[in-house]
Amino acid sequence: MDPSNLQELAAGNTWTAIWPELSLGCLALLLLVLETLLPRFIHGKIQTFSIAGQVFILAALLLDLHTPYHESFNGLLVQSSAGQAMRVFFLLSSIMVSLLARASLWKHRVSKVEFHHIVLVVSAAMMLLVQSRNFVMLFVSLETVTVGLYILVSYYRSSARTLEAGLKYLVMGSLSSGLLLFGIVLLYGVAGSASLPGRSSDAMQYDELARFLAANPHNFLAAAGIALVLSGVAFKIGAFPFQIWIPDVYQGAPTPVTALLAVASKAAGFVVLLGLVGEAFAPYAWLVVPILTFMAAATILFGNLAALKQHNVKRLIGLSGVSHAGFILLAVVSVPRVPMAVGAVYFYLFAYLIASFAVFGVMTVLAGHDDSEQEIGDYSGLSRESPFLAGVLACGLGSLAGIPPFVGFMGKLFVFVAAFKAGHYGLLLVAIAGVVISIYYYFGWIRAAYFNDEPLASPEIARRARDGAGRLLAIALAALAASSIVFGLYQGPLGAWVSLR
Amino acid sequence: MEQIAFASIAAFTLACALGVVLAKNTVNGAMCLLLCLAGVAGLFIQLHAYLLAFLLVLVYAGAVVALFLFIIMLLGAHGGQPWRFRAFQAFAGVVAAALLITGLDMISLRGKTDAGPPVAGAGVGSSLKLYADQLFTTYLLPVEVMGFLLLVAMLGVIVLSRRPTEGEATE
Repeated sequence: MDPSNLQELAAGNTWTAIWPELSLGCLALLLLVLETLLPRFIHGKIQTFSIAGQVFILAALLLDLHTPYHESFNGLLVQSSAGQAMRVFFLLSSIMVSLLARASLWKHRVSKVEFHHIVLVVSAAMMLLVQSRNFVMLFVSLETVTVGLYILVSYYRSSARTLEAGLKYLVMGSLSSGLLLFGIVLLYGVAGSASLPGRSSDAMQYDELARFLAANPHNFLAAAGIALVLSGVAFKIGAFPFQIWIPDVYQGAPTPVTALLAVASKAAGFVVLLGLVGEAFAPYAWLVVPILTFMAAATILFGNLAALKQHNVKRLIGLSGVSHAGFILLAVVSVPRVPMAVGAVYFYLFAYLIASFAVFGVMTVLAGHDDSEQEIGDYSGLSRESPFLAGVLACGLGSLAGIPPFVGFMGKLFVFVAAFKAGHYGLLLVAIAGVVISIYYYFGWIRAAYFNDEPLASPEIARRARDGAGRLLAIALAALAASSIVFGLYQGPLGAWVSLR
Repeated sequence: MEQIAFASIAAFTLACALGVVLAKNTVNGAMCLLLCLAGVAGLFIQLHAYLLAFLLVLVYAGAVVALFLFIIMLLGAHGGQPWRFRAFQAFAGVVAAALLITGLDMISLRGKTDAGPPVAGAGVGSSLKLYADQLFTTYLLPVEVMGFLLLVAMLGVIVLSRRPTEGEATE
C-alpha cells in the first residue's frame, strides 16, 4: 500500500464529526487528573464539575442539533438526525445518573470520582454504539459499555447482594457478547464465501451485508447468524427468554446504576436493533419479524405477570422494565411495514427516560445504607412527609403506567398506532392486556405513597423524605415531572418529527 | 496428509479442552487450557493464518494463562468440592449438549457451501502488514475506543479490589 493511498484512507477519519463523544472522553480523563491534582477536601466538588461539564456539552449539542445524514470514519459511523436525538438522550441520562450518584455515593464508602469517570466513558461509548454501521465498531463500543457496566454494577462491593449482581451480570453479559460475536462471525464468513452470489469482502459493513443477504434470501448459515445476533441484542434489552438476569441484577446494583441499565443501556440496545432490523437484516424480514413478534408478546406477558407479585421496588421496576422492552419491541416489529414506527420507538424511549428517572430519583433519595432493600411498604405515607417527592413519584409512575395526561400515554399511543397500521392485531391485544395488568402494580405503589394512613415504615426513611433531595437533584426532578406532563399534552415539533418519519 | 494432520490436531485440542473441564486440580486445568490453546494455534497455522496463531500463543497462552496460574497460586490450589452426581444437573447437561450437537450438525450439513476457487491474495489474518494497515486507517476509531475500554477495565480492577483507604474505612 503506497503512502498516498494511506493518506486518503486516514482522511476519512473526520474526528470533528464525533466532537460530543470526544469531549465526554476528555471530560472523563480530566476528572481523573483533577482527582490526583486537587487536595482531598474538595474532591466532592469534582462531582459537581462533572455535571456542569455535561450540561455544557448538552447545551453545545442542542445548538448544533441539525445534522444532515452523512458517513464518517470510512463508513464505520453514520451521523443522522436520529443519531443526534440519541446523543441528547444519552447526555440527559448520564447527567441524571451523575446527579443520582452524587446523592447516593456519599452514603457508601467507595471511590467517588472513578464512578463518574466510568459513567462518562460508558455514555460516550453508547453514543458511538448507536451511530455505528459496522460490526467491528458496534462490537468494540458495545464491549466498552459492557465492561464499564460490569464495574458499576458491583460498585457497592461491601454488600453481598451487589457482588452477586455483579457476578451474574458478568456471566450473562459475557454469554450474550459471545452469542453476538458468534452470529457476526457466521454472517461474515458466509458473506465472504466465494461460491455464493453477491459475495462481499467487507461484510462487517451494514450496507454490504444487506446487499449480500438480498442476493441470498434463504441461506441457512446467514439465518443462523441473524438469530444469534438477535439473541445477543435481546440479552441487552432484557427481552424474553433472555430476561432471566434482570431482577437480581437490578436489585443488587446501586440505584443510579440500575437507572443507567434500565434507561440508557436498554435504549442503546433498541437503537442497535432498529439499525439491524431496518437496514442490515432488512432482506430477512421473513425470519426477523416472527422471532421479534414472539419475543414481544412473551416479554410483555412475562414482565407484567412477574412484576405483580414483587414487593421490592427495584425488582418491580426491573420487571416492569422488561414489559416496557416488550412494548418497544412491538414498535420494532412494525418497522418493516410502517416507517412511522421508527419515530414511535424514539418517542417511547424519551418518554421512558423522563418517567424512569423521576421514579429512580425518588428511590435514590429514600434509599438507606442498604441499597438493595427498598420495599413498597417503605413508601406508605410518603405524601405527608414530602409532598414534592410523592408528586414526582406519582408523575413518574403514572407515566410508566401510560395514563393520560402523562407522556407515557403518548408513547404507548404512538406504538399502538404503529402496530395497528402494520396489522399486528393479535400482538396489540396482548399489549393492551399487559397495560391493564401493569396499572394494578403501579397503582399499588402510588396507593402506598398517597392513600396509606400509616406513618412511614421507619423513622429513618421519614427523615430522609423530610430532608428531601439536594438542590440540584430537586430541580432536575421537578423538571422531569413537569416535562412528563407537558410532553403528554403537547408534543409540538417532536410529535411532528415522530409522525413524519 | 493434511487430513491426518487436521484430525490429530483437532483430537488433541478436544482432549485438552475436556481436560480443562474434568481436571480435579485447578493447576492441571490451567495447563490443559494452555495445551488446548496451542492446539487451536496449530489449527490456525493449517489455515495459513500465521498472524492469528502467533497472537493466540502470545496473548492467550503467554499472558492470560500465566495470569490464571498466578491467581490460582495466590488463592491456593484447593481441589474445590468433589464433583457429585445430581440428576437435574445431569439432565440439563444432556439436554444442552444435545441441543448444541443438533445446532452444529445443522450448521455443518445445511450450511455447507462449496469452497469454490481459492480467493486471490492472502486474507487480513495472514500478514502483519496488511493487518496493521487496516488497523491504523480504516479501523482507527475502534482502536482508540479500545484504549478507553482498557483504561476503564484497569480503573475497575483498582476500585473493586483495593483495600479501603482512610476515606472509606470498612463498615
